[in-house]
Amino acid sequence: MDELINEPYRLQPGFSDNPGNLKRQRFAEDAQVRLQAALRERPPNIGWFEDLMRNRDFSTKQRPRVGYLCNMIPQELAWALGADAVRLDCGNAGAALVGEEMLSGEICPLAKASFGVFMNKDSMANSCDVVALPTSCDAKKKLGQILDDIKPAFMLALPPEQDHRRYADVTLQEMVRLVGFLETHLKTKLKSGALLAAVKLGRRRSAIVRKLQAIRMRTPRVMSFRDVMLVLQGSQFRPVAISHWITEAEKVVAWADTAAQQAGTTKGLKPRLVLTGAPLIWPNYKVLNVLEECGAEIVADTLCTGEQSCFDPVVLDETGVKPLLRALTNRSVFAAICPCFTSQTTRLNRIISLVEESAADGVVNHSLRLCQLFDMETYRIEKVLKARKVAFLNIRTDYSLEDTEQLRVRIEAFLETV
Amino acid sequence: MITAGVDIGSTTSKVVLLNDDGIMAREVIVNGALPADSAWDLFQNTLINAGIQRKAVAAVAMTGYGRRLANFGDMIITEIKSCGLGAVAQTCPAGQIYTVIDVGGQDTKVISLNDDGDVEDFAMNDKCAAGTGRFLEMLAHKLGLTYPAFVEVALQSTAMIQMNSTCAVFAESEVVSLLARGIDKADIAAAAHEAIAQRIGTMVRRIGSKEVFCFTGGGAINRALAKTLEEALNKKVFIPPSPQTVVAQGAAIAARQKLEQGEKT
Repeated sequence: MDELINEPYRLQPGFSDNPGNLKRQRFAEDAQVRLQAALRERPPNIGWFEDLMRNRDFSTKQRPRVGYLCNMIPQELAWALGADAVRLDCGNAGAALVGEEMLSGEICPLAKASFGVFMNKDSMANSCDVVALPTSCDAKKKLGQILDDIKPAFMLALPPEQDHRRYADVTLQEMVRLVGFLETHLKTKLKSGALLAAVKLGRRRSAIVRKLQAIRMRTPRVMSFRDVMLVLQGSQFRPVAISHWITEAEKVVAWADTAAQQAGTTKGLKPRLVLTGAPLIWPNYKVLNVLEECGAEIVADTLCTGEQSCFDPVVLDETGVKPLLRALTNRSVFAAICPCFTSQTTRLNRIISLVEESAADGVVNHSLRLCQLFDMETYRIEKVLKARKVAFLNIRTDYSLEDTEQLRVRIEAFLETV
Repeated sequence: MITAGVDIGSTTSKVVLLNDDGIMAREVIVNGALPADSAWDLFQNTLINAGIQRKAVAAVAMTGYGRRLANFGDMIITEIKSCGLGAVAQTCPAGQIYTVIDVGGQDTKVISLNDDGDVEDFAMNDKCAAGTGRFLEMLAHKLGLTYPAFVEVALQSTAMIQMNSTCAVFAESEVVSLLARGIDKADIAAAAHEAIAQRIGTMVRRIGSKEVFCFTGGGAINRALAKTLEEALNKKVFIPPSPQTVVAQGAAIAARQKLEQGEKT
């Protein structure tokens, strides 16, 4: 197995001895839990998801743990190999600060935070056995090599464009290479029966997400988007037996469905928005807090950490390992909506169809500071949507909370014009 | 009917009282440590000076950065909407003025209005003080000049010095190195205004520069900034009679409109 960094240039993993870092990270999570506690209508079992996100003890594990970044790495592979798959993209402002103790400050907060969590010895990230990530942006291309000092790391080469005809085979080969990497480090073999079972679990999750999405689009709203995100992200960002998650999430869907039926179909006065742009990851729900506090309802999104993360089911055709891997590749890579390779046409089509389907009043674009891919796209999205008379607001921000009030001015003023 | 608009900004608070004939009173105060208290004192004094009681005021609309900090208002409105309303009221009727540029202590806004004078679009500077009134105040201080003197010397400069930073913190060190190179204070002052005007010009063009331009906020009192802004835009900017109280006036108008519509405030 090729290592990402050769022996003579390896560095010793660096750990932060700043106790304030962990304190700050916990504070960010607790503050968000408190804010969401003020929501009125919540699923009765939402506490299960909160506890899952707030768990800080990763010392014991029942199964091996595969850490991964970005949606293009299918969780199903790890599940099929008897491991948990934990998405390590980090939304914690405290972790971004730790990251700056080693990396440059001028790197996107997501990359900094995702590295920062490795600098605390007892973190979830450090409890992982291996790490896999795709070449989805400049920061992540290099992050793999940096993480290879700490954990065996794998980089999945993504095609430069999402063109299935040109890149289907080469991307499948990458997926096969990933399987080889996981098999070597987890010391097990991928079997078609296990993979099929894993794919089926993934499809059950997609079905749940689709139901939640249908409920979200109805009026009036029964569930805050922040709670939807909390539920969704639990299945990816924390080590959890997916079957356990499915049981709890099905309870949420059942509750939401009943609540929606009882709520009737009265047209609410609240502005309905589609959220697009860079990922929002627990506990960085700042933008969602302000949007909902200002009275907006987020009825649909294209976030790779939101509904889009598990909306598309793997299409089952044949059930051998190779066809299943091809189906996983089609879902994870060719149906992804990352600006690193998705064309602006595809992204605009998706946004516009969501606006129509959900009868939205406007679109809000979350532009994460220092994420150039999303920032570059904003230009066309803004012009095209405005030309179609769809109200549009771009929010450029990072993980820090200091601009919350400035954001509030922008968002309130935008909602006044919607 | 009398309505009041209270604009609590980052640097100053403003109060405007409006009756059926127009403006009854307008006052500005520099905020103390607690802007909400400063605004309350100013509101009380404005009532006394206008010779009316609190109960004579049908509604008080709060706006500005501190609109949620004070609790004596009946409604809350963003400074973006107030600014549009106030600019139209203070200058010329809707349908003539299309772009409002507001330079405040802590942020700079560009607001684009439609034919009815309603806000169509807006842009604001990002979270720091780059390109705002505070930036100029800090540089005046660094040059050892009072703010009026800083503006005055900037108007007299003829040299063209480039200042690269509009970050209030970086600009300070840039000023130190410019001074060390023996550059005249007047030229540095002019360069600071130029840097901000260029930044605003970019914001205006990004949102689509539609004439007539109206320049409001505390920044509009600064003649050097108005001059450089006109140069940067290559257009004339119209400065209302009381640029600092435009937003407060807009809030008072919004309160009046809401009462007239029979809505509960």
